[in-house]
Amino acid sequence: MHTLRLLSALFKVNLQMTLAYRTDTVVNILLNLMWLGWELLGLNIIFSNTPNLGGWGLGELIALLGVFRLVNALMAALIWPNTEKFNASVRDGTLDYTLLQPADSMFLVTFSRMVIWRVWDLLLGAILIIIGIRMSGGTTLPLNFVSFLFLAISGSVILYSLWIALIAATFWFVKFDNNVTILQALLDTGRYPATVYPAWLRLIVTYLVPIAVATTVPLQALRGDLSPWQVILFLAIGVASFLVASRIWKAGVRKYSGASS
Amino acid sequence: MLRIYQRLWQVNWAEQWQYRANLLMYQLYWLVSPVVYLAVWVTIANSQGSVNGLTANDFITYYLTLLIVDQLTSDITIHILAYKIQDGTLSGDLLRPIHPILTSTLVNNIAFKALSFMALIPIWIVLVLLFRPDFNSITPGSILLAVPAILLGFLTSFLLGASITCLAFWTTRVNSISEFYFALITLFSGQFVPLQLMPPLIQQMAQFLPFQMFKYVPIQIILNRLSPAAILLDYGTGILWLGLSWLIFRWIWRAGVKRFSAVGA
Repeated sequence: MHTLRLLSALFKVNLQMTLAYRTDTVVNILLNLMWLGWELLGLNIIFSNTPNLGGWGLGELIALLGVFRLVNALMAALIWPNTEKFNASVRDGTLDYTLLQPADSMFLVTFSRMVIWRVWDLLLGAILIIIGIRMSGGTTLPLNFVSFLFLAISGSVILYSLWIALIAATFWFVKFDNNVTILQALLDTGRYPATVYPAWLRLIVTYLVPIAVATTVPLQALRGDLSPWQVILFLAIGVASFLVASRIWKAGVRKYSGASS
Repeated sequence: MLRIYQRLWQVNWAEQWQYRANLLMYQLYWLVSPVVYLAVWVTIANSQGSVNGLTANDFITYYLTLLIVDQLTSDITIHILAYKIQDGTLSGDLLRPIHPILTSTLVNNIAFKALSFMALIPIWIVLVLLFRPDFNSITPGSILLAVPAILLGFLTSFLLGASITCLAFWTTRVNSISEFYFALITLFSGQFVPLQLMPPLIQQMAQFLPFQMFKYVPIQIILNRLSPAAILLDYGTGILWLGLSWLIFRWIWRAGVKRFSAVGA
């Protein structure tokens, strides 16, 4: 309850900040729509030259684009802006004030900045997923859809845990401004199924920087490519990585000595 | 004048040299999207022999050449100039007896390019080893023929980028405009796919726009895939656009500086 009240307070603050720049919001949404048109054009070019991409049809790729947009929106709404704030606060020592507040520091570091207009992007992603599933023909089993939802959530949690581990690394190596660059750069690989990538790239985006676990893997569950055991395994990895990440965060906070004091 | 450029080079090189570790990371941004598209098109070409006459090797050579050409013709003016107009620090540059953009900004661009190119080379060699392209179609002559095209591409992209940045004299912030401009480049330059795979309408428009000179035309010249007549025509369009970009830039700069109120300074 306390957490929810805190979340809604943070939301209100960020909403007020957005409303101060209304034109910006409109322009951002227009640009966002333009990029969507661009992405759909890309899919159109691909599928006017081939009936399927490595066994995946147009509908499935549109659904994948939807999942990618959800993950991307999450990153753009929370992860990138909060990384910027976090890095600055480690540099100038204002992180002390965050740590002193009577709330979980990992929670505050995750939610203190929100880019509100990205809610629009979440909506768009959901619509794309629905359209994509409809287009690939009504062969989707309810069980597959449920595992798809859970895997999408656990995949995002895995990426979030990686992020926590990366920014917590700043506590040990103070000069680590590039902490999320690799995550940002590789995020674009989520647009297409990892199964079409050469083995080395597939290994990187599955194990090292697991973008594919949040994008390709849920779609594979939707297609019925995964066995129940694989689904359970991925869900377990999601839970485990969150636990490990919060451990790392706590150890990092203990290590932190502050730049100002 | 030459001494001024020489000194500016020393300063800007030293400035960029500080960030050499970051440059390696920035390379990742540049790399990922071409490598992803490469993988996508190679998958398609392999599954059906060829796409519109392009084989898997054609795609590999196209995107690997793209990585180099993109690096050479790209322009970072918006990142090094826009904030100066926003916060008013441009005033200091304006007091100097040299054109701030055609000297300092240009040299900074080139210094950045030279350093990031050095970072690209080892990564590019690794990619060549991974994808094993057959670069047989390239000849010394084709590379030589592409050099003026790359220069033309860079100068045009620099002047247009600078013009877009100078819109900040009116709007203060230019992030959205430059994102739109960037989207046009991706669409018409051959960044996503070789232009011959684009819908006919976009192909026709691309021929009249300056953006194909940024990537598509130099790549195709290097890979020996254009007829002499097509090369001549593309060079003609490119030179025309260079002249036009120069006029646009000169006009925007003069009108903009008159309006400049040095916000914040």
